[in-house]
Amino acid sequence: MQTDLIIVNEYCRICHIEPSFLYLLQKGGLIEIDTVEGESYLPASQLYDVERYTRMYYDLSINIEGIDAIHHLLGRVESLQQEVNRLKSKLRLYETENHDSIEDL
Amino acid sequence: MAYIDYYKILGVDKSASQDDVKKAYKKLARKYHPDLNPNDPDAHRKFQEINEANEVLSDPEKRKKYDQYGENWKHADEFEAQQQQYRQYQNGQGGGTYWSSSGDGSEFSDFFEQMFGGMGGRSGRSSRSSYSFRGQDYTTELQVSLSDAAKTHKQIISVNGKNLRITIPAGIADGQTIKLKGQGGPGVNGGPAGDLYITFHIPEDSRFKRVGDDLYVTAPLNLYTAILGGEQIVETMDSKVKLKIKPGTQNNTKVRLKGKGFPVYKEEGKFGDMIVTYSIDIPTNLTDKQKDLFREIQSLN
Repeated sequence: MQTDLIIVNEYCRICHIEPSFLYLLQKGGLIEIDTVEGESYLPASQLYDVERYTRMYYDLSINIEGIDAIHHLLGRVESLQQEVNRLKSKLRLYETENHDSIEDL
Repeated sequence: MAYIDYYKILGVDKSASQDDVKKAYKKLARKYHPDLNPNDPDAHRKFQEINEANEVLSDPEKRKKYDQYGENWKHADEFEAQQQQYRQYQNGQGGGTYWSSSGDGSEFSDFFEQMFGGMGGRSGRSSRSSYSFRGQDYTTELQVSLSDAAKTHKQIISVNGKNLRITIPAGIADGQTIKLKGQGGPGVNGGPAGDLYITFHIPEDSRFKRVGDDLYVTAPLNLYTAILGGEQIVETMDSKVKLKIKPGTQNNTKVRLKGKGFPVYKEEGKFGDMIVTYSIDIPTNLTDKQKDLFREIQSLN
């Protein structure tokens, strides 16, 4: 028996969200839902994302299309941040701490 | 303790309707919500302020109390005395370096806790508590030196009173976060536990600069060795190497030592390179004889 699958209807009941919301996320390609013998299951590994999307949808009134766009933009922000960190560490090589100052030229 | 102007935080005036408050909150929350600003402590702090302001102003009972006592807060000694017990309650709460990163901005200021600590917490509508299932994620930071980060080592950290023995793989990078599954807060209603995220900080090392898996080091080079050639001992992370110096080596010449850099994260036996920059020491305080000899060389040119 797989223990890392969560019954969608049960999850939605506990968390007070509409199952239709999860199916919308699935349709938008944002999460995966497994179906086993007619019952829909949410893999536990998806919970972190589902919670984030739930907060965006219910707390911030962002629709699925908006969430999809945010998902892509956050991916870009993350890769840019990594690039900035790489460049910063490279820049440190060229920054010398001690400079002689020349006052009269 | 400072008075907090919740109206100012949400940018609404005192006559704002519940609907105005809600709109202002949502607009600001969309800007500062931690889910939309990952790894941004400033946004996180700002969101907590907004969340707290909303918690008060969106609840008619809290808002009434805030309006009544708020402005005279500094003089409300009696009121403060009444609230003493709540402050003590608050002080009894954990502390330490661990905090929740559930993204719900659930931490409140002392001001809030003193004023509303006894009012049965939050309204619930806007908080994550209504979606509770998976446990809270914890985040923490851990500082390791560059030399420690170069070898796989075990360290014991304490998370909410529980000691955890963690293995830090060689080659961890500054700012890198590792996830320990299930080491966060306990789940609710049969949900799984949250995760623990550890972000590593590696302070600047006095000898080596690290870029990715490569190490950069500056090695002093004697003037005569640079001119005539010879050998120079250079320190690597864990040993020393003897390098051949070509005659006529210029200042700032760089040499790349393959595989003498930093270990590559989770790729056993693989290392980056070490880049040595020679810095030629120009002799100072020359004796008269040395000066004469230099003048002689000068005149030969």
